[in-house]
Amino acid sequence: MRLNDAVLGALLLGFAGWVWWLTTFFPAFPGQDYGPNLFPRILASAIGFCGALLVFRGLRARERLVILEEWTREPARLASFLSILAAALFYLFFSDTFGFIPTAFAILVVLFLWFRTRVVVALPVAAGMTLLVHWFFGGLMRVPLPRGLMDPFL
Amino acid sequence: MDAFIQAVELVLDPFVLGVIGLSALFGMFVGAMPGLTATMATALLVPVTFFMSPVPALGAIVTATAMAIFAGDIPAAMLRMPGTPASAAYTDESYAMTQKGQLNLNMGVNLVFSVAGGLVGVAVLILAAPALAEIAINFSSFEYFWLVCLGLTCAVFLTNADAVKGFLSLFIGLLLATVGIDPSAGFPRFTFGEVELMQGINFIPTMIGMFAVSELLRGAISVRDTGHAVIQQVGDMFRGLGPIWRRYWFNFLRGSAIGTVIGALPGAGADIAAWISYAVSKRFSKEPEKFGTGHVEGIVDSTSANNSALGGAWIPALVFGIPGDSITAIVIGVLYMKGMNPGPTVFTENPQLIYAVFLIFILANLVMLPLGWAAIKSARQILRTPRNILLPVILLFCVVGSFAMTNSLYGVALMLGMGLFGWFLEEHGIPVAPLILGLVLGEMLEQTFVQSMIKADGYWLAFVERPIAGVLGIGTLLTWGIMLGRAGMRAVRPATS
Repeated sequence: MRLNDAVLGALLLGFAGWVWWLTTFFPAFPGQDYGPNLFPRILASAIGFCGALLVFRGLRARERLVILEEWTREPARLASFLSILAAALFYLFFSDTFGFIPTAFAILVVLFLWFRTRVVVALPVAAGMTLLVHWFFGGLMRVPLPRGLMDPFL
Repeated sequence: MDAFIQAVELVLDPFVLGVIGLSALFGMFVGAMPGLTATMATALLVPVTFFMSPVPALGAIVTATAMAIFAGDIPAAMLRMPGTPASAAYTDESYAMTQKGQLNLNMGVNLVFSVAGGLVGVAVLILAAPALAEIAINFSSFEYFWLVCLGLTCAVFLTNADAVKGFLSLFIGLLLATVGIDPSAGFPRFTFGEVELMQGINFIPTMIGMFAVSELLRGAISVRDTGHAVIQQVGDMFRGLGPIWRRYWFNFLRGSAIGTVIGALPGAGADIAAWISYAVSKRFSKEPEKFGTGHVEGIVDSTSANNSALGGAWIPALVFGIPGDSITAIVIGVLYMKGMNPGPTVFTENPQLIYAVFLIFILANLVMLPLGWAAIKSARQILRTPRNILLPVILLFCVVGSFAMTNSLYGVALMLGMGLFGWFLEEHGIPVAPLILGLVLGEMLEQTFVQSMIKADGYWLAFVERPIAGVLGIGTLLTWGIMLGRAGMRAVRPATS
């Protein structure tokens, strides 16, 4: 998916304006000319300038507003793309409740199967990788991976 | 001398050697798998090395990257797919050699010249870094300000993308660096009341997102396609190398020199070094018509260049704290985490660590010869690793690695957001490397800028009055001028044509 330069530039102009607006809430310190808002404002102006250039270029090029590549029209490919995002989101929302081991195992199994791995391979590899990662990060490196449902067993 | 003996002891520790061995295998594997890059290897290594002392942590990164950059040549020659972007410049040439039945020779050339080029890069690093550090010890905020400006400008100048998008990426990176407590007044900026954002955007989850997750997103699109690669077995790869050395020794030296210099310039790493040295090789060759038909000359230049760039990139990273490429950008983050702020003082306060890095570099390049041989011999097995298993496993590593850096889900959320953002940027032809450099150097730029402004007190000439600051300042302004001129020319040309 690709936005036309003009659309991208307009978004950037809006973003730069928003950043500038946020800096108006920064405190000024008496006796100090160069406060915390100086640098962000320089950068907001610079981003705004680049955005304006892109708008100018985009309008001159007269392309379509959004260009969608071939793969975005193939449902399977689109689903594969989204599956990576969905897996990470699933971990974000459910790892605390279910714990690391069930969440990671579920993510791996579902992704393996969707990516066309055979079940006899997917299940043992997912279990093995989950336990390996848990042993390495949770055990050796003492990362506090969420225990969740597995709390009584660990 | 004491420091050197200490460094030898640090490196020869069995644990350190074990870490180096494992990272070498990891680097070989990541490099040889198309779609997995050396930067990604580094980003994924950081959470693993988080709890180690500096020497094994740096050793792991040095070794893994050196191996990965070489190993990228293997699938380039066998499958016409570069294992890492650093091999992309001569992938077609390598594959053409394979089709002519010269796979053995190609692999031999890639291995031996990668090792030799890597050693040249290290030699320059060992000679140049301490000397530069002695000069840098006298630098004030003015010199550092210009140095950072010049470095950031180089990062944009050397990307292949167009200048507007390069600068845009840089400014976004610098703006991201302003999140958190500001260095001059201690005011929390852009934190929206979130405690996690007070320390700024955490660097490692950002890198994991930008370099690993975005790559996974691209890879996922085609992962369900079935297809089997046919891979030839490699025979005696060292036969016939003697005549190549005698004929192309100058190409080797030129490639290594270009690689080291490009590596040392901020923002450009092994991939750009390979492109430039390949182009130079073709331009000055006696038989340029043979390029593209499976001719070994350009490969000698560029395979030496990409490995020498690795050593070169450490020069500004260690001496000034300015990364030479995306890999050393991560290294600088690691150094800060270990409480070793990079800069000239490391050379006087912790010289044993610097020597240890040098030693590991030499060791890594020497180990590459037998390990690279083994990797080439087992390429059939390595390249048969199914991507549909690899991708989800890497995703799990990304998630756990990011979690480990913050010990909270904030790391995972940041990784996901940055992964999507990095993918979005690259889809629009906006390079990611300047953004990363901006994020790393943002605080330093702002601090030196505000300090210099306060010292100068409105007297602008103070920025260029000290001799080195003057040279750096004029150099930076000239580069800006050239870039503006080029952009102007480009804007005018379509109107006239």
